[in-house]
Amino acid sequence: MRKNSIPGRRTNAYFFLAPAAIILLVVMLVPIFNSMRLSFFEWSLRSMAQKPKFIGLRNYVELFESENFLSSVRVTIIFSLSVVSIELLLGTVFALLLEGDFPGMRIFRTLYVLPIMVAPVVVGIMWRFMYHPTYGKINFFLSKLGIAPVGWLSDPNMALTSVIIADVWQWFPFVFLLVLAGLQGVPKDIMEASRVDGANYMQSLIHIKLPYIASVLALTAILRMIDSFRSLVVIYNMTGGGPGVSTEVLSLHMYKTAFTSQRLGLASAVSVLLLMIILFFAMFLIVRSIRKEGK
Amino acid sequence: MNKKRTILLGASLLLIVSMLFAAGAGETAKPSAQVSDQFDWKQFSGSTVVFNYPNHVHYNAMVESGVLDEFAAKTGIKVESDRMQYMNMHDAQILQMSKPKGDYDLITMVVMWKAEYAMSNLIRPLQPYFDQPRLKAPNYNFDDLVPAYVEVTGIAGGKNIYKDGPGAQLFGLPFGAETSFLVYRKDLFDKYGIKVPTTYAEIESAAKFFAENVPGVYGLTMRAGSGHHATHGWLLHASPFGATVFDENWEPAFTSKEALETIEFMKTMIKYGPPGMEGFTQDEEFAAFLQGDAAMYLDASVFAGPVKDPARSKVYDKIGFAPHPKAKTSLSETGGFGLGIPSNAQNPEAAFLLMQYLTLPEVERKIVLAGGAPFRMSTLNDASLYQKYPEFEVLAEQLKYANADWRPIIPEWGEINNLLGIAINQGLTGVKTPAKAMQDVVDPIRKIMIRAGYIK
Repeated sequence: MRKNSIPGRRTNAYFFLAPAAIILLVVMLVPIFNSMRLSFFEWSLRSMAQKPKFIGLRNYVELFESENFLSSVRVTIIFSLSVVSIELLLGTVFALLLEGDFPGMRIFRTLYVLPIMVAPVVVGIMWRFMYHPTYGKINFFLSKLGIAPVGWLSDPNMALTSVIIADVWQWFPFVFLLVLAGLQGVPKDIMEASRVDGANYMQSLIHIKLPYIASVLALTAILRMIDSFRSLVVIYNMTGGGPGVSTEVLSLHMYKTAFTSQRLGLASAVSVLLLMIILFFAMFLIVRSIRKEGK
Repeated sequence: MNKKRTILLGASLLLIVSMLFAAGAGETAKPSAQVSDQFDWKQFSGSTVVFNYPNHVHYNAMVESGVLDEFAAKTGIKVESDRMQYMNMHDAQILQMSKPKGDYDLITMVVMWKAEYAMSNLIRPLQPYFDQPRLKAPNYNFDDLVPAYVEVTGIAGGKNIYKDGPGAQLFGLPFGAETSFLVYRKDLFDKYGIKVPTTYAEIESAAKFFAENVPGVYGLTMRAGSGHHATHGWLLHASPFGATVFDENWEPAFTSKEALETIEFMKTMIKYGPPGMEGFTQDEEFAAFLQGDAAMYLDASVFAGPVKDPARSKVYDKIGFAPHPKAKTSLSETGGFGLGIPSNAQNPEAAFLLMQYLTLPEVERKIVLAGGAPFRMSTLNDASLYQKYPEFEVLAEQLKYANADWRPIIPEWGEINNLLGIAINQGLTGVKTPAKAMQDVVDPIRKIMIRAGYIK
């Protein structure tokens, strides 16, 4: 009898949950806590043998006074909002175009997802070559059309757009893949019924398909947004943050603070603020999608 | 009594003479060129030296020349190589040198890291090793090492931390050090009758001529990408223009008339340079000349290797070398790499043997013949090499003007380098005017200097 009692079952549940909880605690919470703690200290990579010096909120004050930090916050937000919205739009359009079962469609679908499999460092170098002002393929084709070479990565007004194009190229297939899976879940009988009722393509898209895949779109948007806020490797390889700081996203600013300026405390403060920005946008999207589902 | 007095007098004289000698040693004591006939190269046989070095023209030549294997055979010391991309070495070295016992016995330092390591006691002074006859290699001839290279790669603790002077010590030896020179397209200069530039005004007029008159060929190739590359590009020209990063009192001096003139010169070069040059890294700067797109290259002398290599250079047989042109001065770069022994090295004496072996005159010659960079005056002054290495004659002349104070390589330089490089690039790309871009980083750089205790 005691075996089936509620306290016993609860103990068992805790026992089985404990390993996962411990791993979660060690792997995720401890580093986050340490990073937050370190953000109140001055600690140089040059003097790792020495103890960090407590300086209170001075790292945060320095960041909010730094023109380059504020610029990187602005660049990060523009970059993330741009890539997420463009990727969602393109991914959904391509999924809708390729959802039918036409001959050869499977090959097309496979080809579309290839960019996701390419390592970010390769993507960065590849696009850097393609954007090269003299030897790049893009300027080569433009020259055939009689258009003068464009400084894709060296012109401060073009560089961020060029980086956004590279990110969209790599990641819109991810959205495409998830939306395509979502579209497979739209009940065929409802689609059939709408057709019988005389609904045209746009009507069935707006009133049936999109509401069905809304939760998939929300989840995809959250995943892509979190990932885009942490983008580093592709941008590092393409521009190194330049020209000036026009493509220096927060994660790159954090990397330079830690490894170029060698200020680990200040870099931790950047990471804490980056985490807060990501949490703010993620929570906004999650709450919105929960409210929609509730309705 | 008389005998006692004589001994006392003799001892006093000896003391006075030795004190006089000690007082004269205001600068770093240089290891003497004393030769030991009975040097035991096998004294550390059986030990292992872990050597951290970069994937770089000079070090690649070291490997290709086979001198590491020869050292192992000569000494019985096993050399374990840890070769990596040079900008990644700093993090790896710091991590290793922060441990009680490090894995590295011999490291390669970019000159920018020398003062940082020395002032944090992460590397060992070398004089105590040179002072031990059992460790000092025969025929080493320290004085033959290029003095400017020794100062920039090896000496720290003197005037302004990174320079020679009272209190300075020897922490490293040059190995892969460099200065700057001009490489030009001899075929084009001859064809169009253009004078090889000896002044900055002549660089401007030559750049303008090629960009406007020779299809597919631009003026000068230069690195200018945001951050380190822009700072390096600016420093190359700032020195001849008479601009400096700091004044004598460590106050920012990069807003001076000369500093802004330097940026204006760079903007002119971008106007006549290959498309997109304002974003060029060193690789792209090299590529523009190697591919035949630029008529001139004015930067680090390490370029001599790639530009003469037919496998890499389309213009390998169409080039000439010339000294760094003059603006107000002809002061050229000093930079590159030096060797040092970490304080926590497990086999420091064996590492010292390897360090000396690699910098011996006959070993230097082998590395140079395999494509490495010369660092001994005897090699640069050897006229029998000028036929095959015409750049040596130019380098020997240029080294008279090599500026060991080319950049302030204080431990905080990495942070300052990045801020300056962003500002210079903003000035070059029109994000800000050069004056505003440089003025905007005065306060952030002053704060770094205040935090580090240089100014109040």
